[in-house]
Amino acid sequence: MADITHIGSRARSKEAPRHVSGRGQYVDDLSRPRMLHACILRSPYAHARIISVRADAAMKLPGVRAVLTPADIKALSQPFKPGRYAAGLRVPIAEYASAIEKVRYAGEPIAIVAADTRAIAEDAIELIDVDYEPLPAAASIEDAVADGATPLYEELGSNVGWQGKVSYGDVDAAFARADRIVRESLKIHRYSSTPLEPFACLAEHSPERMTITCNSQSPDVIYEALSEALGLDAVRVRVPDVGGGFGQKIHLIRKYAVLTALLAVKTRRPVKWIEDRSEHMMAGGHSCEQEFDVEAAVKADGEVIGMKIRDTDDVGGSVSTLTIHFTNKLNNLFNTYTVQHLTLEGRSVLTNKCPVVPNRGIGKPGMCFVWERMMDRIAQELGLDAIAVRRRNLIPPSAFPYTTPNGNIYGSGEYDTLLDKALKNVDYDGVRQRQATQRGLVARTLSGSRGEPDKARPTLLGIGVVIGVEPGGRNAARDMAIFPKSKQMPGAGGVEGATVKIEKNGSVVFTLGSPSCGQSHETTAAQIIADVLGVSPDRISLATTYDSALSPWGVSSSNSGNNFHLYDVGAVHGAATRLREKLLTLAAHVLKEDMGRLTIEDGMVYVGRLREAGAKSAASGPAVSFAELGKIAYSNQAQMPPGFEGGLQVTYFHSHPHADPLMLPDSEGRVRAQYTFSSAAHAAVVEVDVETGRVRVVRYVIVSDNGTLINPAVVDGQIYGSAAHGISVALGEGFVYGSDGQLLTLTLLDYGKSTTLETPHIEIEHHPVPDPFTTLGQKAAGEGAAIPSPAAIASAVEDALSPFGVKVRDLPLSPERVWRLING
Amino acid sequence: MTRAIALTVNGEQCGGDVEPRTLLVHFLRDQLGLTGTHVGCVVGECGACSILVDGALVKSCLMLAVQADGCAVTTIEGLSTPGALHPVQEAFVNRFGLQCGFCTPGFVMASHALLMRNPNPTEEEIRRDLSSNLCMCTGYVQIVEAVKEAAVTLEQWRTSRT
Ligand code: FES
Ligand code: FES
Repeated sequence: MADITHIGSRARSKEAPRHVSGRGQYVDDLSRPRMLHACILRSPYAHARIISVRADAAMKLPGVRAVLTPADIKALSQPFKPGRYAAGLRVPIAEYASAIEKVRYAGEPIAIVAADTRAIAEDAIELIDVDYEPLPAAASIEDAVADGATPLYEELGSNVGWQGKVSYGDVDAAFARADRIVRESLKIHRYSSTPLEPFACLAEHSPERMTITCNSQSPDVIYEALSEALGLDAVRVRVPDVGGGFGQKIHLIRKYAVLTALLAVKTRRPVKWIEDRSEHMMAGGHSCEQEFDVEAAVKADGEVIGMKIRDTDDVGGSVSTLTIHFTNKLNNLFNTYTVQHLTLEGRSVLTNKCPVVPNRGIGKPGMCFVWERMMDRIAQELGLDAIAVRRRNLIPPSAFPYTTPNGNIYGSGEYDTLLDKALKNVDYDGVRQRQATQRGLVARTLSGSRGEPDKARPTLLGIGVVIGVEPGGRNAARDMAIFPKSKQMPGAGGVEGATVKIEKNGSVVFTLGSPSCGQSHETTAAQIIADVLGVSPDRISLATTYDSALSPWGVSSSNSGNNFHLYDVGAVHGAATRLREKLLTLAAHVLKEDMGRLTIEDGMVYVGRLREAGAKSAASGPAVSFAELGKIAYSNQAQMPPGFEGGLQVTYFHSHPHADPLMLPDSEGRVRAQYTFSSAAHAAVVEVDVETGRVRVVRYVIVSDNGTLINPAVVDGQIYGSAAHGISVALGEGFVYGSDGQLLTLTLLDYGKSTTLETPHIEIEHHPVPDPFTTLGQKAAGEGAAIPSPAAIASAVEDALSPFGVKVRDLPLSPERVWRLING
Repeated sequence: MTRAIALTVNGEQCGGDVEPRTLLVHFLRDQLGLTGTHVGCVVGECGACSILVDGALVKSCLMLAVQADGCAVTTIEGLSTPGALHPVQEAFVNRFGLQCGFCTPGFVMASHALLMRNPNPTEEEIRRDLSSNLCMCTGYVQIVEAVKEAAVTLEQWRTSRT
């Protein structure tokens, strides 16, 4: 590699200039000649049988070009195969892109219209006549599993769609030798990262192929869906700029890609469909509501020796994501702790609510919530300090690389140091002192002068300190540990490519195998290429966003699973390294020199190691530029070495070289769920208004180990954003349903998304501990702070409310719910 | 039934026939091809569609195209001059004040409007003012930093000119 000057720097963003000037290209910005606009009719009922759908009036509206009813959709397409998210499904259930005989959640698509304008399509939707036979809706886990509950899927016999268990170590023996069993019930609610750009699809059908341009995070899902549903081999998926993903755009979007494509086939015209906000809120997918019953076997000194967790997931009205929130808990099942004996039982309950989808961490925020709430509870029950209990159980630095009982291998970590630094940065002792003073004041205010108009309202200070791992880089075989017989496994390990090319004029372009949803992949990849090739990032640019026909993609080519750092970085580094070899081979021939004597600097290949000889730059002596080499490589065979393959372009597919052991699960169900493990300590300081229940986050401090940082400003951005989301989740954002299964939070305002006012100024310190197994020592940084932050806020609010003896067991901590906690 | 409107957009005279129900944001995007103004909610909650109408910050999903008849509109495309970003835009680039970029045109316009009104805002003022807009990606920290940096640059501009 040439000198490292760009990796690790806050290199200027390559994406930002187009976005700040309004030149981003999102799906809705695209237009095609004769393009039609689509609009979807959705179910107003949470649970109902569809008796009939009549579309003749809609068809007669001038400007309407096609209407697809459930009967049409069933006739024109095949159902999706149950994919890996539905692993464990005990009977095959055909699921089409729309509801066919029954609707199972309010907002489920029923029919789709294509018309000359969006407005006409919307008008046409109003003219479609549907007869429903409403059925009782199960709007909660309790309703869904109650005796006599109407099953969503008759084929399954009940609304428990899946039930299963993983167990590691000897849990019963651990419980038998415990000094104490600590029990708790915990709950996480439904939420979503609500990407600002809703789903968007543009389908174009030509004799050669179906091309779909959509804002998918996982184009392979769209590729498979179109191939399966339309029975097409020739499918091309393109992903332009994407206005945020966070997991929302992985799965359910496939329905809409298929519906839009069917319209394109039927009308033989390009068709664009853009979801609106309320459609996204009710049908775009939610993170799962999860209920946990937890028992921890502990020793008197705070050591956790065993854990039993029963997890019930409310998966909503589809079997297609039946087990994802369960299986993702394998990724951080042991968090940062040494416990060896653990059982996780799972139950997926179908309800008449929006289906669940991946969302920034999937089951991992829930798993971290369990661990970190339990650490506080254990400390309380044993009369110990909560941070000391955590320290008692941390995996020590000497234990790395560390294999967890379920087979994950943590490459490196310094968990104690993360806690030390977080406590220092947040001024833990100072907060405790202020807390004591404030509690005295509040006690006096509450006892004496309540109601005095000009008295400041009593607030209680609280601090919560938590720690969590952030897994990164997916192993495609993970779910085989739980579902060894499942027929729909997507592969094993990971594969992802990149192409790097030196152009004829010496500039550099590259293509990644995966799409970006705003994580500065172009900037980051260009920094790596710049250092490997020895050329300024200014001369490097992304050739195209994802295009399945051009991008070197594989099973890991997904803007999810925290995959970029492992697979894209590995691929782009590998491609650039091989291209450098090729470039030097050609340069050595041209300069008639030994390859070993060549140096690259700023797009020039020089003879000799001039830099090392003390020269300021390699500016003199024989040299050849990238542009001169480009001209030769693309047009002058006479100057190439014998046998040299023309061109200066390399495609390289990266697989994790340390994917084994346990890439495939062993007989005990141990498997590498993910390959790298970042970690972070979070310290939250909150003020709770005792009269209103309002929680204000006063300080939020993070100390984070994301391994080698390629661009610290980009990593900061990921941490800020993911922390802000987790904090907003904890403070009150979330989906609320009525008992009839109607969503009550259809707008962002009702949903309660935090603005600049509720979001605290987040403080970050990096404590990078390079990963011993990755290309540059890097670890993940995407899901990041969304994993521990709900637990941190819960911990801080419980601490603030400790004078009331209150326990925080579930989220969100909205003013109303906090007020109820305080007032019993 | 359509109505003809005429207005100035980014300094250019434009016009078009619009249905009375057409929103200003859709007129800008679909009829004028100014796709930098985004739609995140279409009900006035997210600010992705923020533009200036006669100098005032407006959510263009809350205004009908016919209401803009005769007005002077500035969109994100009108903020920079050829070859040079506006200082607010430049600060958003410098400070990594964006990720996916979907909220960005709205935040840039809102920040620009804020700095025209209040050239030297405190962090609290910035946060209060920008609470009109939502960003799902950044956690706002780098956006606030960008606005502070833009304020400094604009201040330097003003002093170097006088
Ligand atoms: S689109 Fe106008 S405020 Fe959201
Ligand atoms: S940068 Fe994605 S919404 Fe703000």
